[in-house]
This record gives sequence, structure tokens and C-alpha cells, in this order.
Amino acid sequence: MKASLAELVSRRLLLVTGKGGTGKTRIAAALGVLAAREGVRTVVVELGDSNVLPELLPPSAPQRRADRDREPRPVGENLFSLSLVPEAALQEYLELQLHVKLLARAIVGNAAFHRFLDAAPGWRELITLGKLWHLASLEDGRGAPRWPLVVVDAPATGHGLSLLSVPSVVLDTVRMGPLRRNTDRVHELMTDAARTLVVPVTLPEELPVNETLELRARVRELGVALGPVVANGVEPELALAQPERALADLARLPRGAAPSPFAEPDVVAAAARHRLARAATQREFLDVLARELGEPPVRVPWLASGVDDAAGVGALADALRGALA
Amino acid sequence: MKPDRWLDCRVLVTVGTGGVGKTTIAAVLGLEAARAGKRALVMTIDPARRLADALGTGPLDHEPREVPRERLRALGAPDSGSLSALMLDTKRTFDELVERLAPSPEARERIFANPIYRNLSDALAGSREYSATEKLLQVASDDRWDLVVLDTPPAAHALDFLDAPRRLSGFLDGTFLTLLLHPAAVVGRASLRLFRGGSELVLRALERVTGLEFLTSISEFLLAFEELLAGFGQRAREVARLLREPSCGFVLVAGPDLSQAKRAEAFWERLEAEGIHLVGLVLNRAHVWPGAGAPPEDDAAAAGRAERWLAEQLAAVDRELDANAAAAALVAAVRAQAALARRDASVRERLERALPLESDAFRTVPLFADDVHAVEGLARIAREIFGASRGV
Repeated sequence: MKASLAELVSRRLLLVTGKGGTGKTRIAAALGVLAAREGVRTVVVELGDSNVLPELLPPSAPQRRADRDREPRPVGENLFSLSLVPEAALQEYLELQLHVKLLARAIVGNAAFHRFLDAAPGWRELITLGKLWHLASLEDGRGAPRWPLVVVDAPATGHGLSLLSVPSVVLDTVRMGPLRRNTDRVHELMTDAARTLVVPVTLPEELPVNETLELRARVRELGVALGPVVANGVEPELALAQPERALADLARLPRGAAPSPFAEPDVVAAAARHRLARAATQREFLDVLARELGEPPVRVPWLASGVDDAAGVGALADALRGALA
Repeated sequence: MKPDRWLDCRVLVTVGTGGVGKTTIAAVLGLEAARAGKRALVMTIDPARRLADALGTGPLDHEPREVPRERLRALGAPDSGSLSALMLDTKRTFDELVERLAPSPEARERIFANPIYRNLSDALAGSREYSATEKLLQVASDDRWDLVVLDTPPAAHALDFLDAPRRLSGFLDGTFLTLLLHPAAVVGRASLRLFRGGSELVLRALERVTGLEFLTSISEFLLAFEELLAGFGQRAREVARLLREPSCGFVLVAGPDLSQAKRAEAFWERLEAEGIHLVGLVLNRAHVWPGAGAPPEDDAAAAGRAERWLAEQLAAVDRELDANAAAAALVAAVRAQAALARRDASVRERLERALPLESDAFRTVPLFADDVHAVEGLARIAREIFGASRGV
């Protein structure tokens, strides 16, 4: 699809996934920051309580304990974050369905039920999707969406695909009842290309690129629409007009005579060779992506300063903005 | 523990978050074991095709595939050493387990036909992790191998697979399960004790929320599995024991950035709490400084001097080169490399402080610019981990 920011933020649910280590959490946070800057009230959701996301977003005001697990925290203008924990989402869901808080608490607190949940298949995925649907469906007092955009830091490829496939499995096995009705709604949201997109994040290297292409095929089979592929960490090219010639020249320079370690010919040559080889590898896999996708991926430059906090994510958001334009 | 001694373990487990290169490191450990004259097996989740090509095994599947003898010889392995690899297949492992544990062909077919089993055995809580440990148990008792290297599945919490066996055994004695499996028992007087803790209330409430059909299909699934559960629990306890034996060593693989370092520290705490033996840490894909000693601090003035000197020198040997532009680009590349090397060194220092390992149990593998999935790449990584003495 056309990789414009406007296209992305007009959706309701963006599921950011990719191979581990590709920076999908950071891209999800940066997407949230960008959407918020565009004036779209956005909630960035981390799945589980690993608490990586809060380190990447501005700090939030303290929250009432009861709200922490279910109510997105404000972290900036138009920007909110939430750590979605299946157990908490289940309790919230039971409260909504049973209309009796105490009963819901009794269920979730029941030790036998806990052991059952620990091993039972699929419910974490299902309740996670249910909560995402709930966030996307909530309305404010005037009938407008309360959270026009939900950006999810989804699990890495394998678990991400399990997450996406759970609704169809439930629909295959359950024909009626409240669970069926709820799953129908979730499935409808997920398979509506106007509302939901999967955004794969990759690095321009062999393994992540292969995994991205496999992910793409599988996501299509599930009937979920794919957004632009984000190629993260694209390193700068060495701005050297005639690299081989310069390297040959370097080999002829005197050793041990440089005024600083930054000019020592062997060191310079090693650094230059490293850069050239990295750039060549990255180019190769950017080409593979472009060829297989039929369009160039969104190329997000590698940031020398690192992306370890809110300032880093801000810089990444700028870079992503430039790449999407 | 020194890396040479890692190979004395009976089982090595590589752990770390996704994308740090666990699979590659696992292959290197297996290769090095073969070169030390051992018969090694590497079990992986999703090997790079090129890794399989490099090893010459052909596409990997659920059965061990041997690396051809000539290829091992070329890498300096004696004839007593061998290396095989297999790819873990969750569905197949579960199918095998069902085949083995099912008390009758009917019970087996009931499970295979169950839609939840068919669709969800892959999504069954912790099933990937469980299947990895189950397969490990199978091969660890197989005397065809001196060393088994397990490459753990990528997971949000990379140590999930430690919980998988426990989850399944906890599941066994669940009152709730009994209620689901034998709804009739609930009305029987003899089972009044099951009402303890309000389980029946819970079940009724859940029925209101999910609908009867869902509970019925879950029940059928569990009913089909019931006869196997005792066997599952037994296997789960054996796996838990195996992973904690002194002959089982964990190698933590981490990438060189701050968040990875933090996560590696969290793993370490978890491993220690679990009574698991961490034998070493591989800081993979770290930027290294190509010069002697530590990477220099950044210094704009020194960089300016370097650029001028380099421009003069290049102009002197090659009058047709745009020496000023070349010098600027080259010095920029060196400064960037120094900055990265400094950052990665600081991550290593942080980990060295945080993890109580001997200093030679910390190994740094540089980020190689070109393809590491070829066999030369594996040999290079082996040299970095095990030292040049054992190098090819």
C-alpha cells in the first residue's frame, strides 16, 4: 500500500510486528508519537507487563491503582500508553459481562481456575484481541471514538501470527453464544482493511527480511491487511566517490605517523571496509524487499545516538516522518 | 567457566531475546564440539536456510541431519567428532507424544481429530517451549550424542520455556479441570469437596460469559487429553530436573545495546532463582575498535587534525583523488566506528559488573560486516569465542 502517514493514521488499529531485535517496540512508539503530533488521539499498547514501552515514552502522572491495568495513561498531548495484561483484561471483561465486580473477582481469584488458565490454549490471545477491540470501539460522550488510533507493539512474528489466527480458530469451533458474538466482532475489526493494518518491521539483513516475507504471506492467508514494511536501522553509505582507489591509496601511507588514532591508515581502512561491506549487505536486502514487495520499503535511517528513551523515540519519529513522506 | 569447558556439558542451552543470534551461536557451539572430537547435536527452532546450506545438511527437519564428514574435516574436526542438526516441530513433537502416551488407538484418534488440538496445538500455552524441552528430554538420554545444544524459541519472555513444564503439571491436579471433565460429578454428593473455593460458581459464571458450546468444546479437548495428562506431568518433571543438572549449562546471548543488557540481567536473576547453571555470556554483534587498545574518546579537534593529515597524505600519493572529500568521509567513518565501539564496550562493562561470571566466561563476537551464515562465518565466530588456539 501507499506508505503515507495520513494513510496510516486514518486506520483504527495498527499491529506492529517483526522479528525480535528489529526495533518493533520503538517503531510502535514512534508511530504513536507521530500520530499524536498529527492531532490524532492515540494509545500505544504494549502486550504484557515487560514495561519496555514506558521507558520509551514520556513519564505519565501517577494513576489510581484500579485504573492502571485498564485505563490508558496520558503521556503527552494526544498520546496515551497502556500495558495490556491478559489476566487484568479478563477480569475487566468478566466484570463487563457479569455486571458483578465481586463475582468477577471471585473467578479470577479462584486458585483452581488459575491453574486451568495457566495451561488453557488461546485465551490470552483472545482476551488481548478483545481488549484491543474494546479500546477501538469505546466512544466519548458525543459518539466519536474515544481512541481513534490504537497502535500495538504486537509479539514477534511467530507469536504474532498465533495472536492473529486465534479468532478464526474460535469461529471454527464455536457456533453460538456470547463468545461467538464477541469473537465475530473482533474478527470483523481485524479483517477490515479500512480499520486494521499489520505493520511489519524488519532490518535490511537476511534473516529479518526472510521472516518478513513469510509473515506477509501468512498474514494475507488470515485475511488481515498489510501496511507498509518498515526497514529499520538503514545505515549511512560511506560518502566515498572511489572507495577501492582510496583504500589502495591508504595502503601506501606511512604507518605510525598519524597525528591522531582517527587517521591511522590501517584503522581508517578497517573502518571504511566495515562500512562499505555493511552498506553492501543492507543494499542487497533492501533490494530483495523492494523486489518481493513490488514497492520500496519505508527506509528508516539508523540513529547513531540510539533509541533508549523518550528523546530517542522523538528522534526516531522524526526519521520515520521523513521516511514516510 | 572458560568456553572450552562449556563443551564438557552434556546439554548446552542458548537463551536470549529474539534477534540476538542465538541460533548462530548454537551452531557454533555444536561445530566447536565436533572439532573437539565430540558427537554433537544442535536443535534449533527456525534455522536460516543459509545456515543449513553452510553446514551442508540440506533442509533441516524433525530428524537429525548429519553434517558431511568432508565439511567437518575441512573445519579441522577429527573423525571422532560429528555434528548433526534438527529443526524442532511443535506439532510433530506433540503428535509423537500423543502417539507414545495414548493408552489406546481410539484415544489417540480422538485427540488427533479434535479441532482445538488440530488448530491450537501450536498456540497451546507454552506449547512451543514445551515441545523444545520434550524433544530435549528425548535426545538427552540418547547415547548417540555427547553434547546436545538447544536453541530456545524466541519468546516475549525468553525464559517462558522454563515455565511450560510447570504449567502443564499444575494443570493436572486442577479442581477446575475435574469440574469441566466430569460435570456430572458436580451434582454427586461424593464430590461436594470440589465446591471448595467456589469452583462451581466460577464455572457457572463462565458459562454465562462464554456460552455452553465453548465450554463443551474445551471439555472435549481436555477429556481427550485426560488419559495422557499423567504422562505429560511425568515428562514435565523430568525436563525440569534435567535443566537443573550440573551437566546442563546455559549460555546467555545478548546484543550490545542498553535494553538488551537490562534484559540479560533480568534473565540472569531468573536463572539463578531457578537453580540453573549459567556457564557464560556471548555479547554478539558488538562493534569493535580496529586499532590497538580501547576505542579513543571522540575529539573534534583531533578529528580535524586527522582529516587534514589524511588529506595531505592521500594527495601526495594520488593526485587524481579528491583527497579532501575522501579524508572527510574516511574520518567520519572512523569516528562513527569509535563511537559504536565505545558504546558496546560500556554495555559489556555493565554486564561484567552485573553478572557474577569469571572474566573469561564473557566472550565478545564482533559484528561482521558480511554474511556470517556461511561456514567461514561460523568458523570466525568460533575463533572469537574459543580463541585462536582452537581456530581453523
